[in-house]
Amino acid sequence: MTQRTTRRHVGWALIDLLVVAYALVPVLWIVSLSLKSNETMTDGRFFPRDPTLRHYVDILNDGAFLRPLLNSIGIALISTVIAVVIGGLAAYAIARLEFPGRKTLVGAALLIAIFPQIALVTPLFRIEIALGLFDTWPGLILPYVTFALPLAIYALAAFFRELPRELEKAALMDGATPFQAFRYVIVPLAMPGVVTTSILVFIFCWNDFLFAISLTSTTASRTVPAALAFFTGSSQFEDPTGSIAAAAVVITIPIVLFVLFFQRRIVAGLTSGAVKG
Amino acid sequence: MKRRPCVSVLVLLGSWLATITACAPVPDGIVLGLYKYQENYFDEVLARCNAEAAGRYTIEQHILPRDADGQREQLVRRLAARDQTMDIVGLDVTWIAEFAEAGWILPWTGADSMAAVEDMLPGPLATMTWQDTVFAVAANTNVQLLWYRTDLVPEPPQTWDEMLVMADSLAAAGKPHVIAFTGAQYEGLVVGFNTLLESYGGSLLSEDGTESAVDERTVQALALLQRFATSAGASPAVGNAHEAEAQAQMENGYAAFQLNWPYVWAAMQVNNPAMMDVFAFTHYPAVVPGRPARVTTGGLDYAVGAYSRYPELAREAILCLRSRENQKFMTLNAGTPPTFRSLYDDPELQAAYPMLDVIQDQLEHAVPRPRTPFYQNVSTVVSHVLSPLRQIEPEATARELDERIQDALESRGLLP
Amino acid sequence: MSAARGTGAERRLALLLCAPAAAFMLVVAAFPIVYALWLSLHRADMRAPDQTAFIGFGNYLTVLSSPIWWDAFGVTLFVTVVSTLLELILGMALALVMHRTIVARGLVRTVALIPYGLVTVVAAFSLRYAWTQHTGWLAGASAPLTQTWSSIAIIVLAEVWKTTPFMALLLLAGLVLVPQDVLNAASMDGATSWQRFRRITLPLMKPAILVAVLFRAIDAFRIFDNIYVLTNGAHGTASVSIVAYNNLIRGLNLGIGSTLSVLIVIAIALIAFLLSRLLRSDAPDAPRAWRQR
Repeated sequence: MTQRTTRRHVGWALIDLLVVAYALVPVLWIVSLSLKSNETMTDGRFFPRDPTLRHYVDILNDGAFLRPLLNSIGIALISTVIAVVIGGLAAYAIARLEFPGRKTLVGAALLIAIFPQIALVTPLFRIEIALGLFDTWPGLILPYVTFALPLAIYALAAFFRELPRELEKAALMDGATPFQAFRYVIVPLAMPGVVTTSILVFIFCWNDFLFAISLTSTTASRTVPAALAFFTGSSQFEDPTGSIAAAAVVITIPIVLFVLFFQRRIVAGLTSGAVKG
Repeated sequence: MKRRPCVSVLVLLGSWLATITACAPVPDGIVLGLYKYQENYFDEVLARCNAEAAGRYTIEQHILPRDADGQREQLVRRLAARDQTMDIVGLDVTWIAEFAEAGWILPWTGADSMAAVEDMLPGPLATMTWQDTVFAVAANTNVQLLWYRTDLVPEPPQTWDEMLVMADSLAAAGKPHVIAFTGAQYEGLVVGFNTLLESYGGSLLSEDGTESAVDERTVQALALLQRFATSAGASPAVGNAHEAEAQAQMENGYAAFQLNWPYVWAAMQVNNPAMMDVFAFTHYPAVVPGRPARVTTGGLDYAVGAYSRYPELAREAILCLRSRENQKFMTLNAGTPPTFRSLYDDPELQAAYPMLDVIQDQLEHAVPRPRTPFYQNVSTVVSHVLSPLRQIEPEATARELDERIQDALESRGLLP
Repeated sequence: MSAARGTGAERRLALLLCAPAAAFMLVVAAFPIVYALWLSLHRADMRAPDQTAFIGFGNYLTVLSSPIWWDAFGVTLFVTVVSTLLELILGMALALVMHRTIVARGLVRTVALIPYGLVTVVAAFSLRYAWTQHTGWLAGASAPLTQTWSSIAIIVLAEVWKTTPFMALLLLAGLVLVPQDVLNAASMDGATSWQRFRRITLPLMKPAILVAVLFRAIDAFRIFDNIYVLTNGAHGTASVSIVAYNNLIRGLNLGIGSTLSVLIVIAIALIAFLLSRLLRSDAPDAPRAWRQR
């Protein structure tokens, strides 16, 4: 018995190693670039010859990186919460209820997901200037929520649909209102889907470049991906590769933490008790 | 229990972030917005000009992205939206015609205009005007030089054909032989091709910039480019080489020659000081023996935003930002070539900047890129037609260039 | 048994639930989309706003008769199909590993998501660096980024590496909702793990699979960042988004740029329609047939 278990453990460990290698080899290359000194940046080697932490020190001491980091965290968190909440409400309605305009809403969401954002940036820019939202947090939060809603709605609707209707019916028969059924029965069971959607929406807001560079002007609201475009090298023609790589590593850390914390919530399946009766 | 460490960490983080990101004091009085990419050492120039303004106005810099396309995107979007805060804009020399024609920058007249053009070298001067009116003031300029290794090339080549022959013999001897050239499908390729074409006496566009001027000299330039691309001197990666890659090819010892801007001098001192002993420069190789090459200029010009509320003050500020003293400071520290003819005789600059004479020489014959409001279209199209370099067929490619440039000038069809 | 459809209470509740989302989408996206549609019917240049003129479907004719559009369309379609397929297979494998592994599950799940969490342009830039001769460790004597098919292969590689976690995550969330008791029952009936996967897991996951593939295909068709950094569309690797960017932002041609955007929408809508047909998600209650036994 123990021999088989050990074999299984070893087997899974090997598979895990493959996954880690797949995910991390390019990441290691970026980390390596962030540790290479400017002089050895282009020496073509995978590992730095004389690693240095200079790039990290440079960017962490620079207000032009730290303020954008703060902006990124705040804007992405707020956008994610709003998008998942209102997306979840709409998704439940779409998945479970019949109402006029259901198809239109779904179609409109898809249209927004599909439309190339590059064509929408200039009109959005003009609107925000007119409304005084240019270069502010709401100025980014509003588009982020809007363009994250389609994914949130579709994903959450799909996960709600996977849950059997008997659950709500059971709750309704026990005297709960539809909203109580939703809040206390469906939502806890749909946690894997909610968490997944939150992670994906967060990453979308966190890594967006187009809106960040077009709808901001100063570090008041500029986020990190846009801030990378403003890093300077030693001359006009030299890219600050080390600083950019270091910045990329630094801004991936919150995502790693976010995921590490939430991935526990993607728990395995329904317990049998919830389904019967 | 678990919450407390979390909260205190957050509080600490928050206060640290607050101190680091504290807002700068807001200046009162008139504020001139300067929109420009961030140049090293430029803060000093800014401080000097603000001191000179003595309270009448303060210049505040808003930095633009590092890459030229990103800068143009920001400037165009905001000027088209009639941004009033854009008093001074830093423009790449190729945008002047476009911005002037669109009415996004103001013309200079009278005494200001005289002050702007005074003592300017012909190369930079050509970038400052559009349809005989001054629209911008040159802050710095740039020309490419031929860089080579004295240990491999005792006598630098005078012409391209000589250079190709030298590269071939170096290759046969198994030594580093690449001619580092910016051959990727982007603006750098257009710069290089423009140099070759103008050196043959030809030109991409007619004098008034409204028609394609492709003729047999274009065919000659294309033939040379094709000869280069299929020779031993061309690296296999030339089709993806920007300035940084060309620079790396030289610094890492693969190239014997390099055609690049003067920034590589200071870069080599930092990145590979051991090679400085054998790192030398000379004039850009000619295409016709005896006739010096006509090199394409780069550089930065300042202009006044059309919706600025203080155009007079903006002009004054611009003349200060690019004054003789400030240009000298920038050349000494940031390494950008100056635009004043008199500065080229300055002993301090001569001592610190050994390439000054060669650069001045080339600036006397330098040419701007084709001046037309549709330059972006033309450039996109030219670099697309020329790529990949190895597959150029001089006659056929020239015909294609002719057609596409004409389409680009009339905004007809799609840009690739 | 189902309650009466579309009762008044249901409808009121539904409208209440959908109102915030609809408000956001209407307020923020409606005008820009309508404006873009309107622009596509005009000749409009950002440099000359007062010369805007209505030309009906003239822009559409220009674009649809241009080989530049069709070449880009071909490249984009190829990259979309290949990368989405690869990502579906790899993503499903990754989801299964993330779900079933008994060693360091939290670590594997987190690490597997890191590629998707990286800023795309930096990941692409580092890949370009690695593949450039003389600066990177992957380029040998050749220069893969200067030739069409090797460039496309690297672009697909970059896309697949980066967004497989996106697929995997959506598939994982669908995977965990497959009820364990149904699988146990089937296993006791003698079904092998492959049979359990094919006959129970996959059908029950259809909604999740559809969403994953749909959104992935939508994003894949609009690929921009990876191509922009790796080759900038050179040597025949331009996608439709690169062409749209060049015409809209570099050429400042609002009319053509908007037209290209609308055509991209139409193309993607067709793909979405085909995918929905292909992976038609049956009525939500049908797979429950297993449970009724």
